[in-house]
Amino acid sequence: MVFSTVLKSKTDQHVGMGQIALGSGATRLTAVLGSCVAVTLHAPRHDVGVLAHIILAQSSGRNSLPGKFADTAIPEMLRMMDEAGVPRESMVARLAGGANIFGRSGPLQIGNANIEAITRLLQEQGIPIKAQDVGGDKGRRVSFDCQTGSLTIEMAGHPARVLQ
Amino acid sequence: MTHETCATTGTLELLHQLFASATHDASAAMCRWTNGLITLSLDEVREIPLEDVCTEIDVGEELLTMVVLSLEGEVGGEMVLTFDNHNGRQLAAALLGQEVSAEPEWTNLEKSALTETGNILGCAYMNALTRLIDVELVPSAPYFLQDYGASVLQQALMAQAMTSDQVLICRTGFHREGEELNWRVFFVPTDAMRLSMEHALRSASHLKTKKST
Repeated sequence: MVFSTVLKSKTDQHVGMGQIALGSGATRLTAVLGSCVAVTLHAPRHDVGVLAHIILAQSSGRNSLPGKFADTAIPEMLRMMDEAGVPRESMVARLAGGANIFGRSGPLQIGNANIEAITRLLQEQGIPIKAQDVGGDKGRRVSFDCQTGSLTIEMAGHPARVLQ
Repeated sequence: MTHETCATTGTLELLHQLFASATHDASAAMCRWTNGLITLSLDEVREIPLEDVCTEIDVGEELLTMVVLSLEGEVGGEMVLTFDNHNGRQLAAALLGQEVSAEPEWTNLEKSALTETGNILGCAYMNALTRLIDVELVPSAPYFLQDYGASVLQQALMAQAMTSDQVLICRTGFHREGEELNWRVFFVPTDAMRLSMEHALRSASHLKTKKST
């Protein structure tokens, strides 16, 4: 079972549900999102970035894939960036996803809960959110450029958008 | 609630029998709806690690046309009927007795034809499951979606993802005169639905053993 991956090749790498991947150079990390949220961390002038494909907000103590829950994914992403030698104070985050595709109302709004938890956790760690494209009722296909930190977002019926 | 589900091969085989029976009924309904043109067959009933869903289930990263039916309540789940744009358009045209449209936007009539197909399939499937597991299932009105298949499947998996790192997916394929079509039905039960199915299968198997002794 793959918990996290360190990539060095210059290829696109798909990041599945609950996975975290670190890439460097021209590596592009990709994910397809519904209510899940892609969180990226990147530092300008550092040739490395990390993307987590987060499914749910709270682990509630469950031992699972670190990338599955926001409260376990964010510390794991920071650990991976620390290990790659990226100083915490230079990191910025970008977010995408958290849609409510089935358009249901009611208390179980997984996308919103994910976004709220991730925003709070990043704030607690002092990581600014540089840009985000979240919510709505459409899925997203995202591609993260580990070199520049830009996050390209495609949605059905919309032109591609780049979060710089 | 923490319920880490991990089916044994025996349980998966029994679930396969149950879904095969429901697929048989859905196939008969589809055959009537399309004047004998289209039939269904059960491709697989699998338990997959969450992180591998998109690579293991061949839904791709492309935009698909879909009809979604939700089973409301705790014993519930999601049924997602998927087509690539071309195949969806072909089905709509065949049902409406018109030429395949080349317009980029789907008309309301085309959407209705596909939604009604989802309704007929879903109701046949749910009626069969209701009979087999003896739990009343209440499907929502079907709705039409055009989105990334992986995004929609991901949303359908959320109820299972809350309690397990493994997800159970049933995939059904379609055939026209023996030729496989690029249409699929995915059925993703909630944990409670899965437990109801397993309970029904165990009871049936217990009864069978009792009768034979």
